[in-house]
Amino acid sequence: MTGTVAPIPRATAAQAARRGLRRAATTLDPLATVAACVLLAMFAATILARLVGLGGSPTEIVGTRLAAPSLAFPLGTDSLGRSLVPRLLEGIGTTLLLSVIAVAITAVLASTAGIVAGYRGGRVNGTIMRVGDMLYAFPSIILAILVAAVVGPGQVAALASIVLVTVPLMTRLVAVSSRAVADRDFVAAAVISGVSTPRILVRHILRNVAGTIAVQGTYALSIAILVEGGLSFLGYGVQLPGSSLGLLIKEGTTYMVKAPWLIVAPGVVLVIAILCINVIGDSLRDRLEPRETRSLV
Amino acid sequence: MSAPNASAAQIVVENAVVDYVTPSRTVRALDGATLRIPAGQRVGVVGESGSGKSTLGLLLGRLLPSLATATGAVDVAGSPVLELTPAAIARLRRSELAFIAQDAVGSLNPTLRIGRQLSLAMRPAKPAPGELVAMLERVRIRDPERVLRLFPHEISGGMAQRIAIAMAMHRAPRILVADEPTAALDTQVRDEVTRLVFELAREAGSTVLWLSHDLIAVAKWCDRIVVMYGGRVVEDGVAAEVIARPRHPYTAALAASLPARLAPGERLPAITGSPLVLTGPAAGCAFAPRCPFAAEQCSTVRPEPVIRESRGILCHRIDEIPALVAAGATSGETS
Amino acid sequence: MRLLLWLPGRLLGALVVLVGVSILIFAAVRSLPGGYADVILGSLSSPEARAALAEQYGLDKSIPEQYLLWVLSALRGDFGTSMVSQLPVTDEFASRLPLTLGLGVIAIALTVLIGIPLGVYTGTRSTGGRSSVLGRLVSSIGISVPEFVLASVIVFLFSRFALGLRVGNVVSPATDLAASIPTLILPGVVLAVFCIASTARTTRDAVLGVLVEPHVGAAVARGESKGFIIRHHVLRNASIPILTLVATLTAYLLGGAVIVETVFDVPGLGSYLVQALGRRDYAVIQSGVLLATVVFVVMSLLVDVLTGLIDPRVSVAKKGRWA
Repeated sequence: MTGTVAPIPRATAAQAARRGLRRAATTLDPLATVAACVLLAMFAATILARLVGLGGSPTEIVGTRLAAPSLAFPLGTDSLGRSLVPRLLEGIGTTLLLSVIAVAITAVLASTAGIVAGYRGGRVNGTIMRVGDMLYAFPSIILAILVAAVVGPGQVAALASIVLVTVPLMTRLVAVSSRAVADRDFVAAAVISGVSTPRILVRHILRNVAGTIAVQGTYALSIAILVEGGLSFLGYGVQLPGSSLGLLIKEGTTYMVKAPWLIVAPGVVLVIAILCINVIGDSLRDRLEPRETRSLV
Repeated sequence: MSAPNASAAQIVVENAVVDYVTPSRTVRALDGATLRIPAGQRVGVVGESGSGKSTLGLLLGRLLPSLATATGAVDVAGSPVLELTPAAIARLRRSELAFIAQDAVGSLNPTLRIGRQLSLAMRPAKPAPGELVAMLERVRIRDPERVLRLFPHEISGGMAQRIAIAMAMHRAPRILVADEPTAALDTQVRDEVTRLVFELAREAGSTVLWLSHDLIAVAKWCDRIVVMYGGRVVEDGVAAEVIARPRHPYTAALAASLPARLAPGERLPAITGSPLVLTGPAAGCAFAPRCPFAAEQCSTVRPEPVIRESRGILCHRIDEIPALVAAGATSGETS
Repeated sequence: MRLLLWLPGRLLGALVVLVGVSILIFAAVRSLPGGYADVILGSLSSPEARAALAEQYGLDKSIPEQYLLWVLSALRGDFGTSMVSQLPVTDEFASRLPLTLGLGVIAIALTVLIGIPLGVYTGTRSTGGRSSVLGRLVSSIGISVPEFVLASVIVFLFSRFALGLRVGNVVSPATDLAASIPTLILPGVVLAVFCIASTARTTRDAVLGVLVEPHVGAAVARGESKGFIIRHHVLRNASIPILTLVATLTAYLLGGAVIVETVFDVPGLGSYLVQALGRRDYAVIQSGVLLATVVFVVMSLLVDVLTGLIDPRVSVAKKGRWA
């Protein structure tokens, strides 16, 4: 055919930029955006508390014991007469920091094991899965307490417990995703053209299971906060005079009758933090597999 | 036969517009499609992927996904499809319509045996003894007793398609919409399945809407051909005539790409340019960017259908093209 | 038939997991700091008394020998003797099991009766509108409220105000079933909240996943009613992830709901295990964890078998792969 063809209209640079912006804005839905902002605010508050002493000193005894919330102590005081605001800010920091570090370790371990298991399949996969099953079959809180008993209660125990509790599930899900990717043609093409195995694992598999890792990492973060909270609540996690949300709630339950405000503030913050993380996880997952809109029923 | 304006039409689609709306963009699948089909006709709807033919087929049963919005008038067997209540549209699908999809294995429930699915599809009637076997024999499945006990993943694509056809035809639907039911099958199985569909439809007296890009099969089995491009009907007439002597430039390009048309050794011509994706109403003729005859008005004024040689044609320059072709001036005058 | 092909492999895998966990727990218990003798005899006890105690419980033998003896007697149904109470571990467990079982039954019953229907309802009705956002938020709150927060608040509310149900003075279902229910209902409900919310979410996702499968579209095109499609073409197909979750939750509940039992002062298996950990009651810890693992492994096997029965594709061998 010899006819000149009118150019197919292409998006101008401005249109493309606008579309890029819109995509960025729609990456998180409104609910998840709010959740992300709340979490960021928590991080900001705890960092400010540590850097410039926002809210005062968490260890200084400033008032009467178990004082009700007032202008001077917006959340009241605890059993030793310390203001709850700085203790809460410190607790948020400890809980979030512990959880984030633990989940980062989980993500590295689970991604490595999961990708290798999914790609190699067969006996390697079987071995990794069985080890995961052993940890998964262990009652999780008992596992956490056992770890705390062996290494001694404290932050290290909480960290190790979170990793041991969250690794099995994430490994399994990454392995399933990796297996699906490994079966695809571009991996076969890479194998045939002689690309080295580590390169395939990183360039092809990891890149394609990154979404799964992100989503599962988010959910693992919420489990991490739950485990830290539960462990500290039972007295095996973060120890006094430190502070964490679980520890504050444990203190709160002791004085619940006399000073119910002691449990309300850390309880609400803990629930909101976990809720925000779950909302973000849901949003990420919906973006990875949007199915609702395709439904006929 | 070739009756774009036949009275007593069984299917009437009037200026149908369908948009698929996603958060990031809107895609227009039908851009004012208009079509009337009398009862009993066998209509081949052809066009490239994205021409809107599948959307048109789904629209007849209001089977569009929830992200789609549809406007215009769609009348099937006297019922205004777009206005019906959920119960009424289900009744229409049940009593008048039948659909056969390309993915036959997928259209069967993977967790149920074939026999169970067939008897579920017959509800509320209970299958009489031997009725299921008879259903499978009708679609020429050998050893039906064994097949009834199998799961969908244990049968071939051709067998699955025959079962889907058996399910679709056992109610003797007034209208059968088949969306490329043979595209995924081997050549030999393809011919058998095509023959089966048209024979069963003839027995049942069903109107057939055969959505396909297989022009040869359409020429062989259909009375009428409807060519779609950019969500509109661009040419509509007697199947054999249209394929033998296409008038619309797009139909001509499609027909020219038939391998059977070529002299040995001749190269298969491609239609230049890529199929368009509309995001809203087309300003002019949707084919203009790829059309060798496009003039200025083609990309600015929406063409309206005109009747030539008892065909409906959607082209501004339909009367000028023969002269242009004769003059050998196939190069564009878009300036 | 097909079952027989893969069941032996699964059984072997389950056995490997059990052996692994038994070694793991045995090693963990032996590496606990602060030996049993300090806890039982006190830190000022004489070396002779310590040696006698070690001999009494076979703790003077080598570690591998101890492990083998423990496993062999466990296989005969003898889980050893509690060093704290001097009673057989089986008796100790038997007296606490009814309470844990009672809590588990309440929580699982609520989960199945509320969580699954809720998930089906939201899954078949969500259209991306305000209701789906609300549904998402509510179920997210359900999985975001930790047991220890909810349990503490409930204990506080019910002990502070007269709300009809009392907290504490738990009656075991083994002594008086009718009297035990009102005392177990609160901790049961607290356990159920997370289970209901997570089951509703999983059910909703599973249902949504099946709804977009082409066979559902084909059923819609045949003019089947929504209820019919959900009953015959959605629920069965969506049931595998739901079953898996409910089985996992059951195993978790039977393994001992440690926190809820502690907060509500329910002397069940979970709180007993935590006490045993504190007292270094070796036999109790080992056997408790092993039993919880057995429950988990049996549940997984059960799910595997059911999965094979529900979806015939699962047992089909995977196609060959590269590398």
